[in-house]
This record gives sequence, structure tokens and C-alpha cells, in this order.
Amino acid sequence: MGAVFTDIPWGVGLILLPLAGGMICFLWPGIAKIAGLVTAFVVVLSVAGLGWQILDDGVYHHTLGGWGAPLGIDLYADGLSLLMLAATALVGLGVSVHSSGYFEGEYSARFWPLWLFLLAALNALFLSADIFNLYLTLELMGLAAVVLTALMGGRDALSGAMRYLLVTLLGSLAYLLGVALLFHNFGSVDMAILAGRVEASPAVRAALGLMSAGLALKIGLFPFHFWLPPAHASAPAPVSALLSALVVKAPFYILLRLWLEIFGPLSEGVDALLGLLGAAAVLWGSVQALRQTRLKLLLAYSTVAQIGYLFVAFPLAVAAGLTAWSAAAYLMLSHALAKAAMFLAAGNLLRFGGHDRIPDLDRVVQRLPLSTGAFALGGVAIVGLPPSGGFVGKWLLLEAALSQGRWGLVAVIILGSLLAAAYVFKVLGHAFTQASTPHEPRAVPASMEWAALLLAMGAILLGFLASPVLALLGIGDPFVASGVGP
Amino acid sequence: MEAITQLQYAFDAPLGLGLLWLAWRTLACQDLFEAVVSFAAFGLLMSLAWVRLDAPDVALAEVAVGVGLTGALLLAALAKLRSSKMNEDAAGQLGKEGSEVGRPQWLPLVVLLSVAAGLGHAVWSLPLYSAGLSPEVALHLETSGVSNPVTAVLLNFRAYDTLLEMVVLLLALLGVWTLGGTARRPEAAPGPVLDTLVRLLVPVLILVAAYLLWVGAHAPGGAFQAGALLGAMGVLMLLAGWRLRTSLMALPLRLTVVAGPGAFVAMAVITLFIEGRLLEYPPQHAGTLILILETVAALSIGATLAALFLGSRPQDLENR
Amino acid sequence: MSAAFAYALVGVGLFSLGLYALIVHAHLLRKILAINVMGSGVFLVLVALGGRTREAQPDAVPHAMVITGIVVAVSASALALTLMLKLVAETGRAELPTHRRE
Repeated sequence: MGAVFTDIPWGVGLILLPLAGGMICFLWPGIAKIAGLVTAFVVVLSVAGLGWQILDDGVYHHTLGGWGAPLGIDLYADGLSLLMLAATALVGLGVSVHSSGYFEGEYSARFWPLWLFLLAALNALFLSADIFNLYLTLELMGLAAVVLTALMGGRDALSGAMRYLLVTLLGSLAYLLGVALLFHNFGSVDMAILAGRVEASPAVRAALGLMSAGLALKIGLFPFHFWLPPAHASAPAPVSALLSALVVKAPFYILLRLWLEIFGPLSEGVDALLGLLGAAAVLWGSVQALRQTRLKLLLAYSTVAQIGYLFVAFPLAVAAGLTAWSAAAYLMLSHALAKAAMFLAAGNLLRFGGHDRIPDLDRVVQRLPLSTGAFALGGVAIVGLPPSGGFVGKWLLLEAALSQGRWGLVAVIILGSLLAAAYVFKVLGHAFTQASTPHEPRAVPASMEWAALLLAMGAILLGFLASPVLALLGIGDPFVASGVGP
Repeated sequence: MEAITQLQYAFDAPLGLGLLWLAWRTLACQDLFEAVVSFAAFGLLMSLAWVRLDAPDVALAEVAVGVGLTGALLLAALAKLRSSKMNEDAAGQLGKEGSEVGRPQWLPLVVLLSVAAGLGHAVWSLPLYSAGLSPEVALHLETSGVSNPVTAVLLNFRAYDTLLEMVVLLLALLGVWTLGGTARRPEAAPGPVLDTLVRLLVPVLILVAAYLLWVGAHAPGGAFQAGALLGAMGVLMLLAGWRLRTSLMALPLRLTVVAGPGAFVAMAVITLFIEGRLLEYPPQHAGTLILILETVAALSIGATLAALFLGSRPQDLENR
Repeated sequence: MSAAFAYALVGVGLFSLGLYALIVHAHLLRKILAINVMGSGVFLVLVALGGRTREAQPDAVPHAMVITGIVVAVSASALALTLMLKLVAETGRAELPTHRRE
């Protein structure tokens, strides 16, 4: 059974299936919902198949066209790619189930092809080992995300989408210029080959600056975060889930790869800067989240803060590489599941009450216990309380910081968690109380509630599965920096 | 040799400076219409630059897509912008178009200069000679199925990039249709000159596009250039008032538009099962397979670009 | 200096000019023009530096990349223009509203 199973080209299928599904949904809108759900489900199976394959045979490597780098493009998947693909597939399935209830009619016909193309772009991104190819996947992902943000129209969504589009295009161009400099300096766009050839030069430093800035814009790192709250808050709830959970993680994944493979040894000073901006993001984002009266804006600012934690890993990785990067990866996974769950729950509340004002949440606990539970569990993971994926991630981060005596960062991490607890409990507090004006409830389909709850439970489950997940993460040694250096 | 080199430099300086000057005009011009026209002129000068840099494939693509299609899109958008604004309260709205091009602002100026300086230094520091990937391309060109190296890279060595790019184009159309397009102004009937011109040009353009497609295997040309030409032809026809029959505008149009990326995906799946690797052509059939892909792609690109210009989903237009 | 470096520097200049215009201008059509100019700058750097081969033929891979880039640019521009027009239809102004504090 093993041989037959691992012979199927799961990795490539992860890209082709959503593309085919998206085209089918585009051609025949009548069957879009079914086709979309089926595709999302098959993608989950394919990731499992790929995982099996990687456990059996080691890292996945596919030379497209048979040419191989540097002439051709290579696909590559190690433990880190696998986990990102798994997060994408699981969040994707949850959002798909939720969306089948959320969108109706014309909006539904428009949502599914866009979402499936976004899924294809994400999978293609996590599998790619070629920096120009990554530019194309970034553009595909960005354009799909922009249209999804503006899907249901409305002044806020349109302006949020427009701002997001301009920012993402600027980021892509900066990234592409960095690719141009790297290619013309070292003669290849393949990451593994570049890792072997790179050496310090003004062009590499310029490329480092350009690509870091471009990707930071797309991730929403402070101070480049200004586009994120309007876009994530005004998008339809399932889209917000996708944006916060997956779309901002993909550029971070690229930055991480570039850092590990190419830029790491040449990055003195930049890692400190990134850590500083990350710390600022944690504090500023958390404080802003606390000040919000609208639920989705609170969640969007929370995303800004959580992104900051990822960047705190950069200065810590100099001396405690494995711990710090494992922390960043774990936080990415946990946040993806938890924030998606919270946005989906917020979507349920919106559907239910017709608004997302926090003070008017009107005993939601009674009316929508599953969604409130999803929000609470997701909140636990965001705060980093045990047991949850967030706890494991923050624990690893603290460990890395404490072992190096970086007391400032320790303080930031702890303070960030306290602020997160504050804004999560603020929402839950209103959820338990009666609002001043009662609201007429609308029915929320059970599938939408369960989608949110199951994702949130996944975030908690990550806390229990630390050992196997970290073992999976280590396949292929993603965090052992290659190239010149100690 | 000296004289020729001197002559080339005499050509390069005005071209390079012209590019910078036209870009500045595009970005600093008070009137938006002049800005768009300057942008089109800028694109034309870029095409010249591509020819100068021995990149005729890029020149063809730039002229057709970068100048032609993008220029048409910009002008159409500008026209809709102005007509919609005239329905608005005119106080202060129309003036905004040109008012912010005032004093240079200091912080962005500092950003501009430091970015330019840093990048300029980075570029200047690169080695004088570098083969890049041309040795590998030359080495494998014979088995690629075509003899134009750019076509070989696009349709064979890095065909996966082309697959993704076709999906990006499809996604843009999907996005434009999703956003629902905008209300079309009632159009004036095309005069007899435009009508006759279009009737004369369409067959010529089809022939030239077919030629570009065919010749792309061994000379500058190929699917994108041919497709862009077909798209430009489509735009001309739309401007002259031609419209497809309603029955053709729904599924058949969608099929045409999907055919390009769909063919790539289908080819990817087929080669996956035959050769075990995505988009790996069997060497003896590579040329034929590439030609098939290019033909489908050109038709699809042409339809997509024309549909992008049209803006709204065709069936929405019929329902007004 | 060789032509390759001259044109690459022109590309850097275009990128910088476009960046300045993108930041400074408020009108969305101008921002879209700025992005396009920046894109042309990047393409120029890509192709120009590919001409540093010792033979007469330049490196074909950057040419292919730029053709791909041109198609991506027109796709993005079409989307951006449509989004701008929708925004104008909705708000009456072709500018991004300043971010309201909630």
C-alpha cells in the first residue's frame, strides 16, 4: 500500500487541483460550491499524502520540465513547507465549509473561483524553490486576495482593497528588483544555488533591503501595517480569516527562507532592526486592539501584534537559531488556526446580530455557544495560555530570549500576552452580558459554527502535539542555515 | 568599430534621458490626459530601448501590451472618471486632479534620493561581464523544440512560470468581472473612417498575429506577442462598435478565456503521467506540443485582453 | 561605461521616480501610473544587465522574465483601474479616504 500511495504526485497535485477546480468553478458557476468543497477536501487529503511521502522518502523535490535548476524551476518541500501546507489545507477546509453557508447566489459564484486560485497560489508558494517563481505566486496570491476583499462591495471594503492592492504591488516590485540584483550578481534564481554562491557585496545588501522591505509591506510589519486593519476588517468574514491566517504568513515564509538560505550571514544590524519593529508591532498592535469597539477591527489589530512576535525571532535566532525559528513557525501555525477561527466566529456573530460592535454583543454565549466557544479557544491560543499552540510558540520564544539575557524582549513578549488577554476577555465579557438594546437574532447554520469551533480546537490541539509537530518541522533541517557563516 | 560605438552612444544618451524625462512628465503633469499620453510615449520609447538592448521579443510585447493595451485601459478609465465626475458636484472635485502636483515634499524626496543612490551603487558594483544563464540555455536549446531562446525559456525551460502567469491574467479578468464593472456611457456611433479602417485592419491583424505565432519558434515573436495583437484587434473592434452575439458571450467566451491556462494545466497533467515530471515534453514532440500550447494561449490571451478592455461582464452589458 | 550599466541606471532612476510619485500623489490614477513606471524601471534593470555576456547574444532568461512581468503588470493595472472606478462610483473621489479612527 505504501508504494502505491507514495507514487502519486501529491506535491504537484496540490497546485494543479485548486487550479483545475478554480477554472471549473469559473466555467460553471452552478456547481461552484460543490466543486469548491470537494477541492478543499481533496487538498487536505493531498497534504496528508505528501506528508506520508516525506516521512517515507525524505524531502520532496520535483524538477519541473525535467531540466533542474539553474535552468528550470524546482519544487521543494521539507518539514517547514509541509506544516505551512497543512495549515493552509486545514484553514482552507474550515473556511470553505463556513463559506458554503456564508455566501449566497451571485456572491457565492464569484467567491469560489477566486478562493481556489488563492489556494493554488498559496500551495505553489510553499512548494517553490525559485525566487522569480515566488514573485509570480506572490502576485497571484495578492490579486486574488484583493478581489476577495472587495467581493461584497461597500465603501470600506473597496478603499481597503484599493490600498491593499497598491501596497502589495509596491511590495512585489521591490521584491522583484531584489530578485533582479541577486540574479545578475550570481547567475541563478534558484534558492539552493544562490545559497552556495552568495557572498557579501553592495548588490546583495541592496537586495536584502529591497526584499525585506517589500515582503515586510506585504506581511504588515510595523510601520508598514497601515493597510492591514482596514482591509482585514472590511472584508467578508471568511475572507478576513484567510487574509489574517494565511495571506500574511506566506510572505513571512519567503522572508524566512531567504534569510536562512541567502541573507543570514550578511544580516548584521538588520535582524536587530526587524526585532525592534516586531517588538513595536506587538505593543502597538495590542494597545490598538484594546481600544477598538468593532470586533473585526480588534481582530485585525491583533494580527498586527501577532506578526510582531514572528519578527522578534530574528534577533534571537543569531545565537539560538533552532529554538527561535521553531518558535516562529509554531506561532505561525497556531495563529493561522486560531485567528481563522476567531474571524469565522466573528462572521457568525455578524450574521446573527447584524453588527459586530463589541459593547452590543448581547448574551451571545446563550444564543451562539459554539461560536463563542470558538472565539474563546482561539483567544486562549492567541494569548498563549497553556495548553495551546500559542503557548508552545511563546514558550520557545521566551526560552530563546531568556537564554540570551534579552530582558527587553522577554518583557515585550510577556506584556504582549497580558494585553492580548485583556482584549480577548473584554470581548468575552461583553458576550456574557446583556446589551442595552436587544437585537433580533438570525439563524446561523450549524456548519458555520462547527467550522469555527473545529479550527479553534485545532489551535489548542497544537499545544498537545508539540513533540510530533516539532519533529515534523525538523525534516530536511530547514533551520540549519546554509551558505557562508558559522 | 570606434565609429559604430560612438554612434551607439549618441543614440543611447537621448534614449535614456528621454525615458527619464517622459517618466517625469507622466508623473508630474497637471492634466491627467496629458499624463496618460506621456505614459504611452514613454512606453514607445521603452520599446526602442528594448530593441537597442537586443531584446526584440520584449519590444514586441511592450509595444502591444505595455503601450497598446495598457494605454487603451488608461484612456478608457480616464474617460469614465471624467464622465462620472461631471455628474458629481463639480465644486472642488475636478480641481483635485491637478492640484497636488505642487511643491516637492522633503521626506519622500529624501527617500527617493537615498533609494536611488543605494540602488545605483549596487548596480554599479556588479561585475562587468557575466554570462548569466545563457550557457545553460545555449546548451539545451537543441532539445527544447524551438530555436528562439526566449520562446524556449517561456514555453519549455520555465513553462511553469508561464502557466502561473496565464492564471494571473485569467484572475485579473475574473476580478474585473467580480467587481461588476462600471456603467458604460452611451457611445457615439463610429464614423465611416473608423468603420472602414477596422474592416480593413482586422484580417491584416489576424494574419500578422498568426505569423508572429508561427515565427516565434525561430525568430522574435511567440504566443504573447500574437495574443497581444489579437487583443488589440479586439479592442479596435469594440471601439468601432462591434459586439459579440449574446449567445456567444457567456460560456463560449469563458471557455476561450480559460483555454489558455487550462491548456497549460492539461499539458502539465499529461506530461506528469507520461514523463513523470510536470511539463517535461518528450524531446521528439516538444516543438509540436509547444506550438499547440502557443496557439491556444494566443487565442486565449487575445480574448482575455479584449475582455479586460470591455470591463464589465458581457451579459451584464446586455441587461442594461 | 557599457550600455548595459547605463540603461540599468536609467531603470534605477525610473524606479525611484515612480516610488516618489506613488508616495506623494493622492489621486489613484497617478498612483497607478507611478506603479507602472516603477515596473518599467525594474524590467529595464533585468534586461539591461543581461547584456553583459561576452558574446553578441544577451541572456534570454531575463527577457522571458520581463515578458512575464509585462503581462502581470497589465493584469494588475486592469484590476487597479476597475477598483478605482468602483471607488469613484461609491465615494465620488478618486482618492483613498484617510483612515478614520474608530
